[in-house]
Amino acid sequence: MKALLARRGEGRSALQRADELGKRAEYLAFMLGTEAYAILIGNVVEILKPLPITEVPRADAEVVGVMSVRGRLVTVVDLKRRFRLTRSFTMDKKSRILLIDAGGELVGLLVDEVLQVYRLAQSEIEPPHVLGTEQPPHVVGLGRPPGGAVLLLLDLAPLFAV
Amino acid sequence: MPEHSGGGGGSRGESAGDKAREEFFSEAQEIVDGLSRDLLALDDMSRRGGSDAELVNDVFRAVHTLKGLSGLFGAAMMSGLSHELENLLDDLRLGRIELTSQVLDLLFESVELYGRILAAAKGDAAEPAQEVKALLASLGQVAQQRGGGGGSVVAQYELDPGLLGVLTEYEEHRLRTNLQAGLLLYRLRVQFRLATIDSALDDLKSKTRPHGEIITFLPTGEGGDAESVELEILVASRESLAVLSGAVAGPNITVEEVRRRDGAPTPVASMSPPPLNDEAARGRFSLPVMGASLSGGPITGTTAPIDANDLDAFAGTTRTSLPPAAALSVSPQAGTYPPERARVGVDQGLAGSHIGGASTANAGSRELTLRSVTQTVRVDIRKLDHLMNIVGELAIVRGVVARLSERVRLDPGLKEIAPELHRLHRSFDRHLAQMQNGILEVRMVPLGQVFDKLARIVRQISREHGKQVNLVVTGGETEIDKLIVEELSDPLMHMIRNAIDHGIEDKDTRMRVGKPPVGTIALNAFQKGNHVVLEIEDDGKGMSPEVIVAAALRRGLIHESEAREMSVKEILALVFQPGFTTRDDVTALSGRGVGMDIVKTNISKLGGVVDISSEVGIGTKMTITLPITLAIISVLMLEVAGRMFCMPLASVEEAIVFDDSMIKTFEGREVMTQRGATLPIVRLAKLFQLEGWRPGVWINESARTPKPPEVRPGRKAKSYCIVAAVGDRRVGFIVDKLVGQQDIVIKALGKSLKKTRGLAGATELGDQRVGLVLDAAALIGEVLASSSDGRSAGQHDGLRQLTSMRSLGEGGPP
Repeated sequence: MKALLARRGEGRSALQRADELGKRAEYLAFMLGTEAYAILIGNVVEILKPLPITEVPRADAEVVGVMSVRGRLVTVVDLKRRFRLTRSFTMDKKSRILLIDAGGELVGLLVDEVLQVYRLAQSEIEPPHVLGTEQPPHVVGLGRPPGGAVLLLLDLAPLFAV
Repeated sequence: MPEHSGGGGGSRGESAGDKAREEFFSEAQEIVDGLSRDLLALDDMSRRGGSDAELVNDVFRAVHTLKGLSGLFGAAMMSGLSHELENLLDDLRLGRIELTSQVLDLLFESVELYGRILAAAKGDAAEPAQEVKALLASLGQVAQQRGGGGGSVVAQYELDPGLLGVLTEYEEHRLRTNLQAGLLLYRLRVQFRLATIDSALDDLKSKTRPHGEIITFLPTGEGGDAESVELEILVASRESLAVLSGAVAGPNITVEEVRRRDGAPTPVASMSPPPLNDEAARGRFSLPVMGASLSGGPITGTTAPIDANDLDAFAGTTRTSLPPAAALSVSPQAGTYPPERARVGVDQGLAGSHIGGASTANAGSRELTLRSVTQTVRVDIRKLDHLMNIVGELAIVRGVVARLSERVRLDPGLKEIAPELHRLHRSFDRHLAQMQNGILEVRMVPLGQVFDKLARIVRQISREHGKQVNLVVTGGETEIDKLIVEELSDPLMHMIRNAIDHGIEDKDTRMRVGKPPVGTIALNAFQKGNHVVLEIEDDGKGMSPEVIVAAALRRGLIHESEAREMSVKEILALVFQPGFTTRDDVTALSGRGVGMDIVKTNISKLGGVVDISSEVGIGTKMTITLPITLAIISVLMLEVAGRMFCMPLASVEEAIVFDDSMIKTFEGREVMTQRGATLPIVRLAKLFQLEGWRPGVWINESARTPKPPEVRPGRKAKSYCIVAAVGDRRVGFIVDKLVGQQDIVIKALGKSLKKTRGLAGATELGDQRVGLVLDAAALIGEVLASSSDGRSAGQHDGLRQLTSMRSLGEGGPP
């Protein structure tokens, strides 16, 4: 009898969990330099280990170059340069390229390390103005998942609007 | 954020409706193109005083098809235009109006409008509502000249547009003529046994003939079963419904009058039918029962005259409400004619096997038509691009296999499988090449597509200028990449316009100098290796070098000292200079050059070149040389500062071994002398700011990204000068290494790199690396343009000025 009750309790909590999960948004967290960022996982087509990249003369400073992913040309962009966190491109074993679809064009985001996927409830996201009133449009909030991590949540649309 | 995911989803879902619409567009476009061709032939013929009924019929049919298509897709403007055109063409076909140049103009104008309506429907332009209205008015005027407004008569009747759509021209003509003559229109629905249809139909025909004319008979597609078929028969007659139905009465026959839509009394209804005929009919067929009930007036409660579907179909065109008993229908009582029925039964029995044969024969013919329709397939060019991409990937696989095969060959332990792998590789190689060629072939379309358009323009412009011009086209069957054809029509149009506008003299002048009064423009296309050559030649007055030089001096495009040293070819090429001509200069000059710089730019964008040759008093010839396809190009692979670049071979004149001693510096610009001529040179590394490894830039080494060449002190590195030319502008590019020649599949750079100048695209090099393809035309233009801007500046500054690149060192954090 007791076991039965316990199981019912379990069942309820599983349902509740599912309910909560439905409301949570999934973010992929990654490192740029020493800071942790995250974007909605739905935006990420693929996570790639660095492939040979050909630099493009005369391109914008943030463009690392172009690479070919299964026959498709991908422009690789360094968000660190975009955000002016650094002057140089650096890559090491942990470096990854997040392939995203930016309005029909495949763009690769060069990041220093991919961390994990976080499911963030609405209560775990702070509005951008906690960082100050004047925030760029691509900063949509601050994620605070359980465990103490702080993620800067990015919206890619303003970054790649042509 | 949501924009991203949303965008992906949207592009994936393409509804069936869109596809059908797209097919409608391309089919309509094809018909319009064909129409244009036929009209040109017609025009040609009428100018020689002849006419071709079959051609008029072709035009008629094309318009007819367009009407049907546009009706299907609710393209009201197009369908309205087609309808009126159809009337005009019908009159033409039946000799009721003559094929005057005014009529031809109207026809050409309508072709133009079709094009614009199509463009509007695709969202490329605004609907030419005003123009269509004006054209419809002009068409109306022509219609008035011949008298009765033909088409509208038919339109006033409650006829199913589907039915009208399938009438043959002759049938439609007869229908119209009969209706105009004020006859009544009847619709008979008759069930025929397949076995006896021939004799029964003949029977019916002979019964009907004394009373009217059978316009058409068509299967309705309803009411029949495996052994019988229902025909709808349109009959025009002077007689009343009662008389006609009496005359043709039989089992499974219904007769109804097709009334006018506006409910107005039909012409004959008001006049009394000839009594004698009426009596005769009654007497001959002695149908007391039927006759009595019919003479009693409209019979209600029988078959509904027009079904809901028909009404729906009409709703779009007319908003006339129909009185419930507007049309009559008579259902003969079954059982009244037992003998007839019995006869049918007998026939049916006799021809039992016959039926099977007939229906299979029927099915066979249907299959035949289906087969002929599916001979061609319309394909979106993007799908071909996709296939081409896959071929590109396979080419990479082939490269890997080749390397593997080589390694296996060298490994003594793998001796046995080496030949097999080698054979496999060879076969793969061969099939891949075939596949690549096959896809390229599919992309090819004949140049005739553009030529037809040009012929129309020649006609139009020559009329505008009151000049007589004959266009002679050869090589219309020469095939070229679809994308090139699309981009070619504008420049060609421009050149043709120039030739007529300013090249061909007016009739009097031509007579005076002993030329034939009619000018000739020859459009000639042919394939030459991997290129297609297009020549546009006129027999006009030619271009005078003196006048061109004078104009160029006036405009400050050249210095007097330069002018003295220029060859005739160089002088003629001046017309391609931007800003060379204005309207004023055009008349002062022999007139060439209206927007010729744009022509040149457009052709260059396609990887082509334009050349002019001209002789005063004899004529001018423009030669355009184009690559056969844009998808695959031959390139020269070269290395600069450790990076690989591809220079389209079409732009490469030659490559020469180079060392710094060959350079001369004038006013800070580097030039060298090549075969007695001065060649401006530019170091590609400097132009692209590639020299050295910029500090702080590090690209992962494991990925085999090129490293800068080692600079060994005291040793001068050998380098090469690649002489690239677009048209007759030449520049030498200094590079470190020539790697070789290769055919590559060129791909466009992403949106975020579109603005980078000097790059035409990129390609995969086979070892997973990407090579950038240089845009030779843009680079040459850039180098030569800078030479006039930056003359006073020092060499380095001058070069740096023209690279507006945000170098990697800039833009960092403060």
